Amino acid sequence: MFAYIVRRTISGLVLLVVMTLVTMMLFFSGPLHPERHACGKICSPAQIAVTKKAFGYDKPVLVQWGQFMQGIVKGRNFPEDKKLEKDHPELVVHCTAPCLGYSKYFTQNVTTLIKTSFPISLSLAIVAFILWITGGVLFGVIAALRKGTIIDRGIVGISLIFYAFPTFFIGLFLYKFVSIKWQLVPTPEYIPFSQNPWSWLTGLILPALTLALFFMAGYVRMTRAFVLESMSEDYIRTAKAKGLPARRILTKHTMRAAFTPLVTMAGLDLAGLLGGAIITETVFNFNGLGGLAVAAATNNDLPILVGLVIVLASFVILANIIVDVLYAVIDPRVRVG
Amino acid sequence: MTTTTNADVLLSVRDLKVHFPTMDGIVKATDGLSFDLAKGTTLGIVGESGSGKSVSSSAILGLHRGTNAIVSGEILLDGEDLLQLNDEQMRRRRGQDVAMIFQDPLSAMHPYYTVGNQIGEAYLVHNDVSKKAARTRSIEMLDRVGIPQPDRRVDDYPHQFSGGMRQRAMIAMALMNDPGLLIADEPTTALDVTVQAQILDLLQDLQREFNSAIIIITHDLGVVAEMADDVLVMYAGRAVEYGPCKEILTHPEMPYTWGLLSSVPDVQGDTDARLIPIPGSPPSLLSPPKGCAFHPRCVHRDKVPGDLCFTELPDLTPARSGGSHVKRCHLPNPDEVYRVEVLPEIAPDLVEETP
Amino acid sequence: MASYRKPIAAIAAAAVVSVTLVACGSSSDGGKGKTTDAKGGTLYYLTKRPAEHLDPQRMYIGRDLADMNRLVYRQLVSFPVTTDKAAAVVPQADLATDTGTSSNDGKTWKFTIKDDVKWQDGKAITCEDFKYGASRTFATDVIIGGPNYILGFLDVPKGKDGLPLYDGPYKNDNAADFDKAITCDGNTITYNFSKPFPDFPLAIASLNSFGPYRKDQDQGDKSNYAVFSNGPYKLEGTWDVAKGGTFVRNPEWSDDNIRKALPDKIVFEQGLTNEIIADRLIADVGQDKTAITDRAIPPAYYTQITGAVADRATLTESPFVDYVLPNFNKMKNPKVREALKLSTNINGWITAGGGDKAYKPAQSIVNPALVGYKPNPNFSMLPAGDLAAAKQALKDSGEKLPYPIKFTYSGGTPTSDKQAAALKDGWDAAGFKVTLNPLTDTYYDIVQDPTADFDVTWGGWGADWPSIATVIPPLFDSRINLTAKSNGQDYGNYKSDTVNSMIDEAAQMGDVNDQAAKYAEIDDQLGKDVAYIPLEITLFYFLHGSDVANYISSPASNGYPELGGIGVKQ
Repeated sequence: MFAYIVRRTISGLVLLVVMTLVTMMLFFSGPLHPERHACGKICSPAQIAVTKKAFGYDKPVLVQWGQFMQGIVKGRNFPEDKKLEKDHPELVVHCTAPCLGYSKYFTQNVTTLIKTSFPISLSLAIVAFILWITGGVLFGVIAALRKGTIIDRGIVGISLIFYAFPTFFIGLFLYKFVSIKWQLVPTPEYIPFSQNPWSWLTGLILPALTLALFFMAGYVRMTRAFVLESMSEDYIRTAKAKGLPARRILTKHTMRAAFTPLVTMAGLDLAGLLGGAIITETVFNFNGLGGLAVAAATNNDLPILVGLVIVLASFVILANIIVDVLYAVIDPRVRVG
Repeated sequence: MTTTTNADVLLSVRDLKVHFPTMDGIVKATDGLSFDLAKGTTLGIVGESGSGKSVSSSAILGLHRGTNAIVSGEILLDGEDLLQLNDEQMRRRRGQDVAMIFQDPLSAMHPYYTVGNQIGEAYLVHNDVSKKAARTRSIEMLDRVGIPQPDRRVDDYPHQFSGGMRQRAMIAMALMNDPGLLIADEPTTALDVTVQAQILDLLQDLQREFNSAIIIITHDLGVVAEMADDVLVMYAGRAVEYGPCKEILTHPEMPYTWGLLSSVPDVQGDTDARLIPIPGSPPSLLSPPKGCAFHPRCVHRDKVPGDLCFTELPDLTPARSGGSHVKRCHLPNPDEVYRVEVLPEIAPDLVEETP
Repeated sequence: MASYRKPIAAIAAAAVVSVTLVACGSSSDGGKGKTTDAKGGTLYYLTKRPAEHLDPQRMYIGRDLADMNRLVYRQLVSFPVTTDKAAAVVPQADLATDTGTSSNDGKTWKFTIKDDVKWQDGKAITCEDFKYGASRTFATDVIIGGPNYILGFLDVPKGKDGLPLYDGPYKNDNAADFDKAITCDGNTITYNFSKPFPDFPLAIASLNSFGPYRKDQDQGDKSNYAVFSNGPYKLEGTWDVAKGGTFVRNPEWSDDNIRKALPDKIVFEQGLTNEIIADRLIADVGQDKTAITDRAIPPAYYTQITGAVADRATLTESPFVDYVLPNFNKMKNPKVREALKLSTNINGWITAGGGDKAYKPAQSIVNPALVGYKPNPNFSMLPAGDLAAAKQALKDSGEKLPYPIKFTYSGGTPTSDKQAAALKDGWDAAGFKVTLNPLTDTYYDIVQDPTADFDVTWGGWGADWPSIATVIPPLFDSRINLTAKSNGQDYGNYKSDTVNSMIDEAAQMGDVNDQAAKYAEIDDQLGKDVAYIPLEITLFYFLHGSDVANYISSPASNGYPELGGIGVKQ
């Protein structure tokens, strides 16, 4: 198992390195001209060229990528100009290793930006995750047990509605009514947990709920399907034939089997969410990784984009490894085999 | 029409019907089944897939409760009608008084729990004992069914057992509470031929030891010949022939039974014997054929005068050989037909010996 | 098209417009709003689009320029806080003792800095601070994105690439050039330009890039969001690029004849959606009672703007004008362009874009707020147009009918597509056969490509200061725009020697009014050539909280809420 984890980690790292290069190549092969945007309203070609150089975009992609990799290992200075470092050290930004680059738009190191944004996305993801897993599993199991009844159809129908409506709409709806009109919760805002856990929770409950409702819809239907599938398994018939009470069959035999595929999906969904929820963060003005991605995209800020690609990909790769390990814990067939 | 006296009867099934309402109509999986079973004896139920054998035996365990199946008739176990029990009372009987083992022991066991856990569970649920006691009992039973090193294997998962061992474990699980009735639903179908015999031997051994009644469901007449005291042949949800094993195997009077006999390969038999498959496929239970359900596949229907086979469902009537042997067929002289036409085809060497 | 979809050029515009306070519903000229002279309270500024720069030499967005002028960046001269259309574009002395004196045909400007004006750390603002501020714009590799007019106007030698040889205070090459062009004599600063700059005070009052900068505070790019104030407020803590920041009183500020500085605190809340802003201001509870915004009410909310809410809504003209323009590389027949003009369905375009709460028909590419504005007589038949005359003109053109044209526009939203469809209807009716070509990311790459095959495209513009000199030359002077690779801002590839020489004449004029008259003549010529067809002036339909007092959208505030006199009722 240990060797397996090491092997997976190494291949994950290689994948990350390749992805940074691919991101950069895609960025420069596209129709984007960040230097033109940054230069200002009326810029002569000469000025645009100066701007391009100031951004470091004048060098070949491979050279830029080389500098980027070097930054990760050794750290970098922005701009890399020995004379300027001597004459005007106050103008030079130092980015310590592992340096993911420097965002001209935020005038911050990308690592700093990610460090400040991540707790916001993390908080959102965790609260949303708890809400949607409890809700999704609870309603999914109820629907499965009451299959074919009004309750089942009601649960499946309502979850379909939440699934079909755009997140943007649900978020806006919750914000507008729950917060602004009815004043049930304060204006959504991120307050660090360390500052005030209660405000932390009330501040992010609406965006978390928005995310949770979307995911919950899928989990209700998946849980329902997995429980129904598991209920039709031969071993459930065996459990019944043994004379086990219905509750014990459900909790011990049915659920255990139904949750295994849920664990995989929940793990990957959570990992994706850790990388930021773009629409929800936009609606509620949460400046997590999703908000950072939007800012990076609107300003064509390559360093942030590359940084986010690395972070997001790491989460997904890590989640895959964790899910695989979890699988071995859950399923003895995988463990021994 | 039973082979046992009332005093010995453990299980008495009367006019059992199991109907499943579906969008397209009612599926009559079992439609008026009756039989008796005495303590310590074995009933073999044979038939093709979809003939209603498994559905009927599941009904005895009350496994259709909680589904939309409509079960009617009587299932008297020790004189008590199981269909009249409430769900909780029925649950207490399952595994305690009636136990069941299934065809595929791999899918019948939960992949995530150890064999010991699953066997012990059957003991724990009906007896107020500690987990430790359940474990001890599990090891004991595993040992009894012939699992080597049971104290170690008790902690293995089902996938670590071989097919035969799994079925042994299932048998151990079924016998944990020493039930009066054991239903074995195709217990050897999924196993290697060599293992099959061992399992059947084991069942017979255990039957002697525990004095359980056994219902063995199979499509294999070889298994029936080895195990059963009585045989019930099912077709399209109904009994078509029922009687003592020896009677049925030597003087079958229903063309469907002939078909079953003729499709059994005889390992020791001579190579002249022909394997004659039954033509056609099992009937739809949603809209079974009018008259005798078997008539579309019956090669002897022309020997029945008029169009009886097409219009009239034959009753279960005493066979010509007498005794408790009954059959559901319009043929006026089935014993003749069998001796003259069928036997020479399927077992030419037997023709001379048979009187 | 709502202002958030403006191209960079238009968003960055910093025009000072004369604002007609077109009142909404029954209210008139903002008279219903609350007034106060009381100091104190907190004002909240709810907005979506984050400021890209707070560095005075780099900021270029109209909203931010106006706001920061009122809060932290005083200039030599500034526009007054007033609703009077004409007065609003007359600069007043601010950090300087008067509005400056020009000589040498507008090529030399002198200002004297007041004695008692201070930075937020109590140090006096000196002539050297102004000179240092101006020098920063020359460091084009560090001070990126700001208005760079000074590079063209200041009398310093230039290199082959057109950029000055002086490269700013960091590298400091050829510093002597710069020291000769801007000189300090005690508190008096003298600017020497290479060509007349009669509207220099307008430029100073409109942009912050001519403002002072303290050398010891300069960290180049790192100072992008740093605010070192000389105005009535200063930044509390640091600016959060995504969320905004809070301004509190600057005790060192005094002697200001322009700013009232009534609230104790001004909080900028960035990153909100237009819908949430509208919802919060309609609900008007808690701190949102003292909130203002620069985001237009989305059309979907128009039905909710009634009764008491309507009293808190204002409709003002923005500095932006939208227009369509023929591609002169393709549409060479003047009759065809005439037909295009006459059949341009401006009313349909406006209706599709939100109606009279969103747009007002324009009569020129020049915004009416600009000094010397005259409606262009060539467009007097607009917005109704003249379909019969259009059909006739197209028939007379001798071209094969229907005349196929491709309309390339900045699309990707349902609104922009509906608006384009409205134009297509009008043109098709006149005998054109229109193909719509909506573009998103690639829009500017296509329209700026001189070889592109579109016949008609869309543009939007806002002047940098209230002078037509910041409209017509940047858009239609072929010499500064057209190169082999790009047409710059001249998307229609318009090239007229007549217009170019008239632009030169205007540029040589040392008087603002003379210049304006000349530009009106040029505009007339552009109209005759159908170099463009004006569509509309974007309107700003804003809400504010019920406890906001003295709320005006002043000419000096580019149509956004004027912070110079605003107060909070407590």
